[in-house]
Amino acid sequence: MILTGPQIAGEVEEGRITISPFDTALLSPNSYDFHLSSDIGWYRRRWWGGRTLDCRRPNRFVRSTIPEEGMVLRPGRIYLASTAETIGSEHFVPIIRARSSTARTGLFVHCTADLIDLGSLGRLTLQFHAVQPVRVYPGQRIGQVTFWVPTGRRELYRGKYQGSTLPEPSQIWRDFEEEDARGAAA
Amino acid sequence: MILTGPAIAEAVKAGHITIDPFLPQHTNPNSHGYRLGDTLKVFTRTPVDPRTSPPTRTITIPARGYRLRPGRVYLGSTVERIGSDHYVTSLIGRSSVGRLGLFTQISADLAQLGAVHQWTLEIVVTQPLRVYAGMVIGQVSFWDVVGEPMPYAGYYGTLSDPSPFAPHALAGGGAVGLLPEVSAA
Repeated sequence: MILTGPQIAGEVEEGRITISPFDTALLSPNSYDFHLSSDIGWYRRRWWGGRTLDCRRPNRFVRSTIPEEGMVLRPGRIYLASTAETIGSEHFVPIIRARSSTARTGLFVHCTADLIDLGSLGRLTLQFHAVQPVRVYPGQRIGQVTFWVPTGRRELYRGKYQGSTLPEPSQIWRDFEEEDARGAAA
Repeated sequence: MILTGPAIAEAVKAGHITIDPFLPQHTNPNSHGYRLGDTLKVFTRTPVDPRTSPPTRTITIPARGYRLRPGRVYLGSTVERIGSDHYVTSLIGRSSVGRLGLFTQISADLAQLGAVHQWTLEIVVTQPLRVYAGMVIGQVSFWDVVGEPMPYAGYYGTLSDPSPFAPHALAGGGAVGLLPEVSAA
């Protein structure tokens, strides 16, 4: 089951959903709109100019600020940006989406990673993929979050991105370290 | 309703969900991670034509990983056999991989009740990315259903290799009348 807009507002009031800051004007019939902050980042080119990322290694990441006049996102690279709002819930599963208006500009706000873990709390890291060049602005109403009722015992998120306030690069390379450590221990 | 991680683990134990092999360390608060199999397929001719079986090339991911390039789709598969008669599976990516610009499917996240197999992934990258066989590349979530069940009679749900589209399935055909795959040597 998915929460209606008024139900989202009620749960925010009860403290079972965190959306901060929260404004009832951003409610839709069954979602809540969130904003893009001015924080953005992307992966650096290698010293020889290569753009290949590697799951096994940390990829050098540079953070930047989207100026008031906006910034053009180019196809062919992944940008990570933060929501202006801190979002999370221990009681309902958040799933994020673009707003239809954003999608119509040819911008993906995530790369098939729409599902937020129960208990995860922070400013969400958005994964921007522009199909063609598109300008984005700080404070733009860019996406929406829905909330879904879970069934079963709850075990809350305690992962590596908890409490993010800035766009966080992938830490998947830690998976390989853990695996190597397990292999060495075995 | 969406199953929590502990509910997924219980349903696996009860035989209501298949995730095989099931590794408890891949359970998340409301999903379960799946791993990338070592075989990829790419189309060797474009434009791709839905009316003819597409020629494909098979890539085996070596230990040093394989560099995916943008502008094409790589068909991969999950290591795990995944599916359920009781809950609807939704196949998505994972935040750590999405942050590197990798899509695990192309707006086709919905599984059908009763299809239990190694899923074919439609992998697309935004910028070149080196991936490794056996890495946890995405996750599945499970959803309650309401209503009378209907037996699965699809085609792709019977396959466990990375599988290109089949013209008869695209045209609406089910498990009958399977066409042999055309493979470019």
